[in-house]
Amino acid sequence: MKRTTRMSIVALFVMLAVVVMPTSIFAQSDMMCETYNEAPELAERVAAGELPPVEERLPVNPRVVDPYDSIGTYGGQMFDLYNGGRLAEFRQFGYENLVRWSVDGSEVIPNIAESWEVSEDGTTYTFTLREGMKWSDGELFTADDILFWWEQVETNTDINPGGPHNYFVVNGVPAEVTKIDDLTVEFKFSQPNGLFLQNLSASYGVRVTQFPEHYLSQFSMELNPEGVTTLMEEAGFEEYGQWWISNVGSYGNDSEYNDPNRPTMQPWMTTAPFIGQERFTLVRNPYYFKVDPECNQLPYIDERVFTLVTDPEVALLKTIDGEDSVSAEGISQPTNRAVFFDNMTDDNYHFVNVINSNFNTMLLHLKLNHPDAEVASILQDINFRIGLSQAMDRQTVIDTVYIGQGIPHQQAPRPESPFYNERLATQYTEYDVDAANAALDMVLPEKDAEGFRLLPNGERFTFNIIVNEGFRSDWVDVMQIVERNWEDVGIDTNPVVVGDDVWRVRAQDDDIHGYVWAGENGTGLLPLVAAGGYTPEAAWGWKAWESIQLNPDAELTAEPVEPPAELQRQYEILNELQQAITPESQAALMNELLDLSADQFFTIGLSLPMGDYRVVSNNLKNVPDPLIAGWLYPGPAPANFETFYISE
Amino acid sequence: MVQYILKRFLYMIPTLLAVSIVSFIIINLPPGDFVDALIAQRRAESGENVTPEEEVGLRKFYHLDQPLPVQYVDWITGIILEGDFGMSLRWNRPVDQLIWERLAMTFALSLSSMLFIWVVAIPIGVYSAVNQYSIGDYLATFVGFIGLAIPNFLLALVLLYISFRFFDQSVGGLFSPEYIDAPWSLAKVADLFSHMWIPMVVLGTAGTASLIRTLRANLLDELRRPYVTTARTKGLPEYWLLIKYPLRHALNPFVSSLNDIFVNLVSGATIVSIVLSLQTTGPLLFDALRNQDMYLAGSAIMMLSVLTVLGTLFSDLLLAWLDPRIRFS
Repeated sequence: MKRTTRMSIVALFVMLAVVVMPTSIFAQSDMMCETYNEAPELAERVAAGELPPVEERLPVNPRVVDPYDSIGTYGGQMFDLYNGGRLAEFRQFGYENLVRWSVDGSEVIPNIAESWEVSEDGTTYTFTLREGMKWSDGELFTADDILFWWEQVETNTDINPGGPHNYFVVNGVPAEVTKIDDLTVEFKFSQPNGLFLQNLSASYGVRVTQFPEHYLSQFSMELNPEGVTTLMEEAGFEEYGQWWISNVGSYGNDSEYNDPNRPTMQPWMTTAPFIGQERFTLVRNPYYFKVDPECNQLPYIDERVFTLVTDPEVALLKTIDGEDSVSAEGISQPTNRAVFFDNMTDDNYHFVNVINSNFNTMLLHLKLNHPDAEVASILQDINFRIGLSQAMDRQTVIDTVYIGQGIPHQQAPRPESPFYNERLATQYTEYDVDAANAALDMVLPEKDAEGFRLLPNGERFTFNIIVNEGFRSDWVDVMQIVERNWEDVGIDTNPVVVGDDVWRVRAQDDDIHGYVWAGENGTGLLPLVAAGGYTPEAAWGWKAWESIQLNPDAELTAEPVEPPAELQRQYEILNELQQAITPESQAALMNELLDLSADQFFTIGLSLPMGDYRVVSNNLKNVPDPLIAGWLYPGPAPANFETFYISE
Repeated sequence: MVQYILKRFLYMIPTLLAVSIVSFIIINLPPGDFVDALIAQRRAESGENVTPEEEVGLRKFYHLDQPLPVQYVDWITGIILEGDFGMSLRWNRPVDQLIWERLAMTFALSLSSMLFIWVVAIPIGVYSAVNQYSIGDYLATFVGFIGLAIPNFLLALVLLYISFRFFDQSVGGLFSPEYIDAPWSLAKVADLFSHMWIPMVVLGTAGTASLIRTLRANLLDELRRPYVTTARTKGLPEYWLLIKYPLRHALNPFVSSLNDIFVNLVSGATIVSIVLSLQTTGPLLFDALRNQDMYLAGSAIMMLSVLTVLGTLFSDLLLAWLDPRIRFS
């Protein structure tokens, strides 16, 4: 408890620093160099007259990045395996948002933006770009590039039919984005948007800085209608939106990185289209805007080499064989730890710890507004959920399925987070069959001859829980144990195991009482940006009620049901959080929300994910230990790939 | 003969139309559509959440807000009138482009494993039949059945492990890293063959086993026929006798299985391709089905059906040419 308070104070101070005094604090770390060093290959090209000197390629005030361990040397290749899924998933190679998370995820720091100012009422955010900062083709990066993204992509409903992402929308009103001058851009909201910087640092913020106006305006229907019509005909497209997504992309599309002519702000860039290739190489961006503290232009590594591997067993084999510099997330699983360990030698790889930003391996989300009123009243009874929770033998699950890694945990932020709430995290996690039976007896006292609990109408209560094994196959093993635990207390449990493709629709069928999912975004400040993740997720009726409160014309996916008062307060907090502009008020609201979650106990958790790892080639340096994995903290990309280097 | 071929072509039209309707319905049978699969996948991959508004927008973007019959009619009229197979939802690219760029590799793989099967299966089959119940026959039968019994993907994994462990070779794909972008040279060809043997052997073993058994059984039937005895009493040399008459008859099943080549062009060796990271059409179709990418899946199935129908016609014609008994019956 003492630790929690102290952490909160530290976090508050950090947040204070970020939000209130943004410009002054970061100016210190960015120092000036008289001259800069560059990769030998670039120096040759400068000597040959193909490139301007490094001082002219870098901005006046380059971003200075402190390497994790040591100043690196230029050269070498870093190897990656990819599985043919979205490559545009930038977590694999870069992270160049306007502003970004620090490596440890505790604060928002400048990146493409040199500094920012927030108006006192939290409605206006003004970003200053770096003077002389350039795209990978040498053209200046200016406010026009951000305006181009906003006008031609984000707000274009042909390309983005849902309209701007909700980060840029407060109470249904989108931001006004204005160019003040070439280096200054302003986002103005109708009401306070207190979490805007944190949201911009998260994964969705990547879109703001990847649309070079000088190159992409030729592909805009508005700016070049004839040219675009011809291009679309040649490519066999009839619709502008589809053609754009296929050739330029908006967010999360491979096409965003596929065009070798398209300038980028990333440390490495494509040289040939990669879609459909078995292997491709990204090369150094000569205009990359970051340097190390000794005035060396980054990145250190010459090339990033990606190889397509579709089968996880083959990926494992290739990683052991040294063909991957940092093992892929998909194969760095507890079950493979022994395989990696057995094949480890002095000169291939070593283990690096990973902090998973997930706060739970498996949450049980109950369909609290089940259309059958009788079932709904059972699921809404807190004693039912307490009984289920206390009947779970979490330690056995952790020992057998997660090889001893983890501790029992509920739907609560991780202990590393300033929002850790001990009561919420640990309540009802004790394995206690008698207490479980006592709680369940208050809800479903009658049992049949086989000892299974009966509904008030005399039928046996069969508890159907849907499990998406396409996402996490470990849940199938977990549910085998939990099924037995619950049957021990008289709940006839039936896990329905399905794949990715049908999961979402099958979960909505009326015979399903709930589903399991991971608890995501629980470390650092992430609970603040993902606060909704600590309220009941499958309460579709209550959520529908809340959406019509906010917007009477909202698209509803369920029949609205009025939620209990505590939950109404939580929904209010979620709105107030967006408008809270001081770190103190944000923290107070967040803590109130978590206390209410603890009182209501709508969602049952399993365990805190621990013991994650990656294996890293011994010749790859500056890889932080621990690495942080996640989505809103788009790990491992914030670990600064550009400071990694190869030592022989 | 011309009339026969013409008639066969006419029969194809209703067959293919029926196939298109059935395949479209079956692809859409599982609950949910492409947008559901997309959202579930994004959430699983990254924890990315899609709001209801975005979901409606996505559905509109992909035209999935239209009723199913309208979607079908749009798709099929595009194919018939404009040769436009539609857009892949997952790849945002025209379906025919996606399939075309993978066809060369698929064809090379189908053809090479076919050749492997023939080169291995015909001599062994003949040997087993002629020397029935010899040690060699038992050995060939034993190895053949093992090949038939081991799942292809397992064999692929084991061979990959062997080539990694004992030959220190880069596993998966058809080229070592240093040759993928290199221009064609003798060394690159050698590198291709040093990788190609794995898929060839994996795909070949199962086919080899069944062909050895078929050839052996057919040849054994033929060898007991009176015409063989007659030919032998006339003093024909044994090997010439074997090749001239019984083997020709026994080859019929090879020819009638030729249409497999065409089918394999689209569906070929899916699991093996996934395991070996080969960019063939199989994994493309497999992913399309899993993601409910219905235009890609539907078009691939359509192409598959056209090729099956054409392949069957082709092998029927070849059979008639090879065997006068079929031609005149």
